[in-house]
Amino acid sequence: MTRESTYIAPVAAALAVAATLGATPAAAQHSFAGQTIEVVVPFAPGGATDVAARFLEKFLERHLEGNPNIEVTNRPGGGSILGANWFQQNAEPNGQTILFTTSSTANPYVLGQPEVEYDLAAMRMAYGLPFGSVTYVSKGTGIETPADFVNAEEPLIYGGIAAAASDLPTLLSFEVLGADVRSVLGFTGRGPIRLAFERGETNVDFQFTPVYMTQVAATVESGDAVALMTGGSMDENGRLVARDPAVPDLPSVYEVYVDVFGEEPSGVEWDAYQAMGALTLAYGLTAYLHPDTSDEIVAAFADAVGRINADPEFIEEGQQVVGGYAMTSPADAEAALKAALQPSDEVRSYLINLLGEKFGVQF
Amino acid sequence: MDVALAALSELFEPLRLFALLMGVLAGMVFGMLPGLGGVAAVSIMLPFVFLFDNYAGLALLLGAISVVYTSDTITSVLLGAPGSPASAPTAIEGHAMAKRGEAATALGLGFLASMVGGLVGAITLALAIPVAGPIVLALGTPELLMFAMVGLYFASSMIGRDLAVGLAAGCLGLLIGTIGPAPAAANFRFTFGQAYLLDGLSLTIVALGLFAVPEIISMLSGGGGISAKKQVVSNWSAGFSEFWKSRWLILRSALIGTFGGFVPAVGANASTWVAYGHAMRSTKDKSRFGKGEPRGVAAAEGANNATVISDLVPTLLFSVPGGPAAAIFLGALFSFGFYPGPRMVTEEPVLLYLIVWSVALASIVGAAICFAITPMVAQLTRIRFALIAAPLMLVMIAGAYQATQSMGDIAMLLLLGVIGWIMKQAEWPRAPILVGFVLAKPVEQYFWLTTQIHGWTWLARPGVLLIASFIVFPLLWRGWTIWREKRGSGETVKNDDIATPPAVEPAGTSAARLAMAGLGVLIFGYALFEVTGFRANARLLPLLAIVPGLALAIFVLVREMRRFLSHRDLFHVEAKSDYPIIALLLGYAFGIALVGFQLATAAFLLLVLIRFAGMRLLGATLYAAVLFLGINGLFTLMRITPPEGILIASLF
Repeated sequence: MTRESTYIAPVAAALAVAATLGATPAAAQHSFAGQTIEVVVPFAPGGATDVAARFLEKFLERHLEGNPNIEVTNRPGGGSILGANWFQQNAEPNGQTILFTTSSTANPYVLGQPEVEYDLAAMRMAYGLPFGSVTYVSKGTGIETPADFVNAEEPLIYGGIAAAASDLPTLLSFEVLGADVRSVLGFTGRGPIRLAFERGETNVDFQFTPVYMTQVAATVESGDAVALMTGGSMDENGRLVARDPAVPDLPSVYEVYVDVFGEEPSGVEWDAYQAMGALTLAYGLTAYLHPDTSDEIVAAFADAVGRINADPEFIEEGQQVVGGYAMTSPADAEAALKAALQPSDEVRSYLINLLGEKFGVQF
Repeated sequence: MDVALAALSELFEPLRLFALLMGVLAGMVFGMLPGLGGVAAVSIMLPFVFLFDNYAGLALLLGAISVVYTSDTITSVLLGAPGSPASAPTAIEGHAMAKRGEAATALGLGFLASMVGGLVGAITLALAIPVAGPIVLALGTPELLMFAMVGLYFASSMIGRDLAVGLAAGCLGLLIGTIGPAPAAANFRFTFGQAYLLDGLSLTIVALGLFAVPEIISMLSGGGGISAKKQVVSNWSAGFSEFWKSRWLILRSALIGTFGGFVPAVGANASTWVAYGHAMRSTKDKSRFGKGEPRGVAAAEGANNATVISDLVPTLLFSVPGGPAAAIFLGALFSFGFYPGPRMVTEEPVLLYLIVWSVALASIVGAAICFAITPMVAQLTRIRFALIAAPLMLVMIAGAYQATQSMGDIAMLLLLGVIGWIMKQAEWPRAPILVGFVLAKPVEQYFWLTTQIHGWTWLARPGVLLIASFIVFPLLWRGWTIWREKRGSGETVKNDDIATPPAVEPAGTSAARLAMAGLGVLIFGYALFEVTGFRANARLLPLLAIVPGLALAIFVLVREMRRFLSHRDLFHVEAKSDYPIIALLLGYAFGIALVGFQLATAAFLLLVLIRFAGMRLLGATLYAAVLFLGINGLFTLMRITPPEGILIASLF
């Protein structure tokens, strides 16, 4: 635990400094005094997004200028599309309604699903929390290193929910690495998938870092599972290549590629991995604001993020609840987020083709 | 043992007992309100959890989820509207008993069965904590598939006497269950471009629409109380004796429920139907099912309460919630710093036993409170029905609206309500629809996962064979007894097996019968057309419902047409007095869509109270104001904004 908690403090300090530097002194401070901010979670209560939204509630109340009242509401349905559509129609540019969501909302937008009525790339960013992911295999595969995984002889079976959902970056990482993995999709959640892995029905799995650390790490320690790699985290140039600070012992997909093939990954598969990985992992949980929200309001959120990241209570409790990552500030990430939401036509058509041909997704 | 006693003494802190009792009271209220159940109770209690310490906070939630399936019996029996989807069998059998004047028997039996169910679940968990982990892990996708198949097999006993109509209803349920994403190929099916349908339909809305809305309609048009006879709910002895007669059935049903709870996503709803089907199969005289058979109530209530605690097993040991209420409970555990997982058994044994004790205690207290308050609740059934129907309709709208908070919820509730009403008039059984709907998803999902992971070798797995024996042994036994009896005493026994005289074929037909058959042909026909555009993987289950469903619906339609042609004089239109009420409900829905919930509700309440309940203007206004405030309070508690109308929204 002690090793894990050390990385957050320097990151937090750096972000706090960045936030202070980023705020222009001339801009008037926006205050939310006496206001209520509604955080719309487009999923049912009790899920990972809901838990994270409610976890952040007290820190936002404490650190946003004017100490507003934060209220988390759930609008589930349509795989998060209903709640996001509602937000598009009802939010106002006053910073008092926030859409707090995941790649479940971003992927249908990027892929152009017809039911989508929201324009995510036009929206402003309030704050975010990254996700990390760890890919691991069972002992029975005989795989010990990432290189073994890429060249595996044993049949590998991966369990997932749906190709166009949060499984996408992991499936794309298999494409990038050229690993021969058979995907069995159609599970109802990552929990049942983990159970299927433990039963030996599948032998390749990934879990997001909070779950990995509380549920899987012990299995890896006991030698029954072998952790291979992480999805990676953002480096200073906004590329998903750095080591995941929550699991610093494991290489990122990028490092595995360089290690196995002796060159930098490139090509449309890699670009697609970068875009979808950014949306699922680095910007995994993102709070969106109305497109016309003023720079002052966005700056107020950026300031709050800097203060929350330096709050010892957040550092302490965040370890267990959200994997110990620092919050993402719009000052650093808004441009990169918008770029990830608008990948090139080449990447888009590659994704649509791959999903349609290999995974039977019908648009 | 020491740990169990330590946990008991932890629970017997006054504040924790108080929290448990508060939870029980809230759970009772939400169990009684149709459409609002454990999920609503738990999410409303969630903000209050943090007023207490960790054990007391969890006791508050456990109290609420433990008694929902006990108190829902009251609504199901007295009103015929299922208090929660898992008590639909109770609504069928218990309400029929109430109509005969046996409400006290049905209620007493239901409470006791619920209590035993909760206790059996708690005891099973207490004994099984050390081995529950391996049991959950032993249930691989093939075993889950077989379990769903057993459910479907048991469900086939619910078809009733008119085989064609019952099977068609089951197929319709399966078809409705395939709306939304296909598990095998990421295909969205029958969504008509509506984001509302992308996740499929909510079980709460299907159950409320099919069972509760038709009851409301007849309540409003009937005017009088529920039963022609006066309900005397003070003498419980008949309930106790029914309970004692069915004690083994209740125990078996509780075990079915406990086992079903282990399976994520199957849970309370499917196991209740499995237990109900089991009650039918194990009863000699099946003719009384659907007309007020106490054994149906006993089985359903024994099973649904037992699932409460076993639902928590995958939650606690693997951090995989068995249902939405368990997911919220999991969130609360996180916030108190408990991290469920395999290590929970060794690291937090006191917490585990505390949960067991809380559920056990809540089951007993819940049943006791139910016995105490029922005589008062039963008084309600003597006042004019329209007076109860109005608030019930509001609560159901709130419950339905909780699903996605869009107009789609209200529209779907009323659409299914009208279909349910036509089915009721046409005497189509509604249970098979609900069972088909509940089981469609697990059957399809586990079928694809199983065949992809295991090929066909899954059929030889020991767990699968063990579960399949639930189907095979009774079949073999039946075959053997029939064969033996045939050899023994010739042909005469065959009639005995059917037990009841063959149903009198209705000579003529009616508007509802024709309409329902025609509707069936239309729905299945359209689905057949739509399904051609799906990928092969996404097409299989819908086709399994459509092909037999369409053939049966055409058969029924032709049969009804011939009856119409041969007995024109017997043709009749049922329940014409219900038409204004259906129009009123549809008008209410349109009103909500146009001018919003508040205005439409005010108008709806005044109209119902004056026109259908015969109240005077002053009384109606006062009562409407009380109901209006009450429903708004409910929305506030659920932290949901009531729907706004498009006309009003465009003004601002």
